[in-house]
Amino acid sequence: MAVTQQPKVERKWIGKSIRRVEDPRFLLGRGAYVDDITLPGMLHAAILRSPYPHATIKSIDVEAARSLPGVVAVVTGAEAAELCAPMPDFGPAPDKHVWRCLAVDKVRYVGEGVAAVVAKSRYLAEDARDLIQVDYDPLPPIVDPEQALEAGAPLVHDALGSNVAYERTFTFGDVDKDFAEAEVVVSDRLRWNRSGGQPLETVGAVAHYDLGTGMMTIHCNSLTFSHFLFMMANTLKVPSNKLDVKPVNAGGSFGSKFWAVKVAVLSGMLSKRVGRPVKLVEDRIDNISNCDHHGSDRVYYVEMAAMKDGTLRSLRLRTIDDYGAYIQFGTGTHGNSLAQLVGPYRIKTAQYQVQAVLTNKCQQGAYRGFGSEVTNWMVERMVDLVAQEIGMDAVDIRRRNFIQPDQFPYFIPTGNMYDSGNYEAVLDKALSMIDLEHWRAEQKRLREEGRYIGIGVISAQERSVFSATEFWFWFDEPAAKVTSSPESVTLTVDGAGNITATLYSCAFWGNSAETMVAQLVAEEFDVEPQNVNIVYSGSNRSLPATGPGGSRFTVMVAGAVQGASTRIKEKMFKVAGHLLEADVGDLEWTDGAVRVKGVPERSKPMAEIAAWLHLFKHSLPDDIESGLEASKVYDHPYTTMPSDDRTNLGVFYPFMGNACHIPVIEVDITTGHVTFLQYVAVHDAGTLVNPRSLGGQIIGGTAQGIGTALYERYVYDKDGQLLTSSYMDYLIPSAMEVPDLEIGHEETPSPFTVHGIKGGGEGGRMMTPAALSAAIDDALAPFGVRCNELPATPERIVNWIEEGRSRQPELTE
Amino acid sequence: MKPAPFAYHVPSALTEALAVLDELGEEGRVLAGGQSLVPLMNFRLAQPTHLVDINRLDELDYIRRDDGVLAIGARARQSALERSQEARGAAPLLVEAVAQVAHPPVRHRGTVCGSVAHADPAAELPAALLALDAEVVASSRQGERRIPIHEFISGPFTTTLAPGELVREVRVPVSGAGSGYAFAEFSPRHGDFAVSGAAVLLQLEAGRVERASVALCGVAGMPVRAAGAEQSLRGARGSEEELEAAAAAAVEGLTPSADLHGGSAYRRRIARVCVRRAINLAFSRARGGA
Repeated sequence: MAVTQQPKVERKWIGKSIRRVEDPRFLLGRGAYVDDITLPGMLHAAILRSPYPHATIKSIDVEAARSLPGVVAVVTGAEAAELCAPMPDFGPAPDKHVWRCLAVDKVRYVGEGVAAVVAKSRYLAEDARDLIQVDYDPLPPIVDPEQALEAGAPLVHDALGSNVAYERTFTFGDVDKDFAEAEVVVSDRLRWNRSGGQPLETVGAVAHYDLGTGMMTIHCNSLTFSHFLFMMANTLKVPSNKLDVKPVNAGGSFGSKFWAVKVAVLSGMLSKRVGRPVKLVEDRIDNISNCDHHGSDRVYYVEMAAMKDGTLRSLRLRTIDDYGAYIQFGTGTHGNSLAQLVGPYRIKTAQYQVQAVLTNKCQQGAYRGFGSEVTNWMVERMVDLVAQEIGMDAVDIRRRNFIQPDQFPYFIPTGNMYDSGNYEAVLDKALSMIDLEHWRAEQKRLREEGRYIGIGVISAQERSVFSATEFWFWFDEPAAKVTSSPESVTLTVDGAGNITATLYSCAFWGNSAETMVAQLVAEEFDVEPQNVNIVYSGSNRSLPATGPGGSRFTVMVAGAVQGASTRIKEKMFKVAGHLLEADVGDLEWTDGAVRVKGVPERSKPMAEIAAWLHLFKHSLPDDIESGLEASKVYDHPYTTMPSDDRTNLGVFYPFMGNACHIPVIEVDITTGHVTFLQYVAVHDAGTLVNPRSLGGQIIGGTAQGIGTALYERYVYDKDGQLLTSSYMDYLIPSAMEVPDLEIGHEETPSPFTVHGIKGGGEGGRMMTPAALSAAIDDALAPFGVRCNELPATPERIVNWIEEGRSRQPELTE
Repeated sequence: MKPAPFAYHVPSALTEALAVLDELGEEGRVLAGGQSLVPLMNFRLAQPTHLVDINRLDELDYIRRDDGVLAIGARARQSALERSQEARGAAPLLVEAVAQVAHPPVRHRGTVCGSVAHADPAAELPAALLALDAEVVASSRQGERRIPIHEFISGPFTTTLAPGELVREVRVPVSGAGSGYAFAEFSPRHGDFAVSGAAVLLQLEAGRVERASVALCGVAGMPVRAAGAEQSLRGARGSEEELEAAAAAAVEGLTPSADLHGGSAYRRRIARVCVRRAINLAFSRARGGA
């Protein structure tokens, strides 16, 4: 692996907080989303959802629905199973937990699609949906993930023979020895309940199956893994070269549209069935109950081994993760955990047992952090517990264990590598932004008045840029040992010297992909970023592209832009050499022109070279073709293979950011309400491309972290009913609940990426739950409160306080 | 999330509206601000076959004070109440309560009478109106009746409004000089329906409570008066012990039903906290404080 990063370089555009190039169209209301698309003859679909968590479908009577005027088709799950193959599924045993676009024979969670209606309007489609009669035979549901493990528990998938979809224990190093030698061992049960990304715009698709050409075109607000879309073609029973998924601006994803292919499949299937374009846009209930992208839902039994001086030795844990009724990505979210299992600390050994269980709930998908945020919470919670046990300060124990700047690249026990970092610098910067002494004094003073404030300090990792091995190192005999997750760009310079960049994964997702590309291209060619035109290709004729996910896009697209730019420049140098009668080796790129080294007056600007290439081919040497365009497929820059026995998983998530969050909160002990007094967040995501847009990512991620920590939870009751099917009950923190953040940046470049960039899109949410948990503990220390379950809702906090009081009767008022 | 089919009527005068409602009987449903009804229709939890839109009835857009009564018409928006100087003088408790209803966009559209007619047990306005001994004026083609609010609201989302009737007006007795008031609620997020809330009105005489009125929302199927607390407050001067005793008395015997945002015990606890805070603030206001 070549070290490409040079010492600090001067850059023109990278590092500048330019305004986002995406903004004008959205601020003017001209962005257009999937629901704005109208095709001639287009029909509208609605999905009938299961009201039962677990039931056999005895029969479905669609006659009344079919005969409602304006209804074009009603398709049941059984008919859909003839029109479509099962959904593309990367789970452990897709034939044993078969996932289909509509349920067949049996429903497995509340909200699972049972039938689809196509009508002239969405209103009519919903009227008809209400007329469908389904005769269900309810089965006992399995809701609790630990009960799902028990013998005799109701089975979500009979063919699987149990509710355990995947189970394995990974041991990295001599864990037993570390525990035997440890002076301090702390243990806890930690519970992270499920929440999920809440995009303003739900998942939607408009499909058009052309009966004449056999071409299936689907406009969709999710387009990732373009090199895997042949699997979706297989589901739709169309040839892979006859499927074109066209990206449409999305109103947010936060991971929740990562592999949101079911809506696209349903609209495609229905369009093929009726021979007309069909629009299907989830409503909020569809999205909350049936989006296939609920977040992690874990129980941990965890132990940490340490010495009395605060040295952390080892981590041993069992985690039960409730994946819901299907498991589309397998245990990829635990790959994220293993990527940064020991946090920023020199913990030498670890044991990780994962049990992926299936229950009668919506399945998990991606949500900002993809499981690593849960790991951060768990590690930081345990470090705090060790600190408490040995009476050490939260800052001191972290300093004692940090991996030091001269130890990089650093290989953690799981085999993954941390490329670079300076964890003390991040911590110090955060501490410099907050007056800890002032707050400690305030804490003391206010406690006398019966008020409780708390300060949380955490330091944790933000892995970025996954490699494909994470999808299969779980198995000794994987189905396919995929080896890269590429990203691609095509740069086209027209005859006037203007540049168009073509991207191959999803359109605007709420991140700033276009701004990143514009700044990267501007850096290469010395043009204004807003003058770079950015377009998207559909999946047909697409180059391989994986899209945003795992904070990979900016790093990967930077590699693609640099690669394509190099090719463009090579051709321009050739032309310039001819025009300037100079040897190519004597030329250099400066200020938007190719010139003879050190001779400014002998130069050719890009526009002139482009004009020659487009218009004057026959005046150029024979071996130069007309036109100026180049593509680059950029593969993962640092991947190594896992060992056969999986005691070393190889390098699979190497570009490692770090952050320190310090919230100061007040807890009202009468209501359990948490309010913010200050919040400092310092992140190190390597070289900054656009500090302001990264700041936006940190703010958004932190807001979602606050949601996960204090408010948000998909609640299924003991009977499997989803109680949070709207925003009346699923509580997202609003602007009133999210404090102003004070943001700081450190820049420790990656030695392995172009420009030294690391990903930074998820960091906020990866830090906040741990930081807030620590702050709650600190505020409520007089009651001995330990925040071991999230969300810490007001009622839960009040209960913790009451439990603390009952343990310490002298505290009772 | 689209409503089931319905017929839509837009009368331009009260007489016309009452005629339409009379004709429709059980079938008719009044649409005012629509902040509760329209979501319910989109969820298809409500499927009225006829909607009678009263948004063109300008004659019902008033908040006026006469004869010791603050009268609020059916088209008056919650935001108008919030900004009304007249209301602030006549019934400051109601103004403090309305400011805690949801968010400004909701209050710009939602009406005071609509909230009363909807009778959500967690809603702020019915509880405040209950503490204020307000009256509901129900109009129909046959005439008009005045119903005390405690008789008007009969259960969760249930009222004694008869088919063909419209909540034309809410009438609130003007709070006397020397009275103290407060509305305190707690919700997990700003603007949510309260876990519970308390409306308190105190009339002091020589520093002692002569008359107290305490109403709670979110603790039962409808807003309730806390008779125990009111009794306990009589003669009180506002000591810590008196506040505690009144707050305890307010929740005595209450068994709020549990939901996602709070179990029964938690709701009782929050009600108690809210009552205590509201009484405390009402005392300080009665004494000429804040």
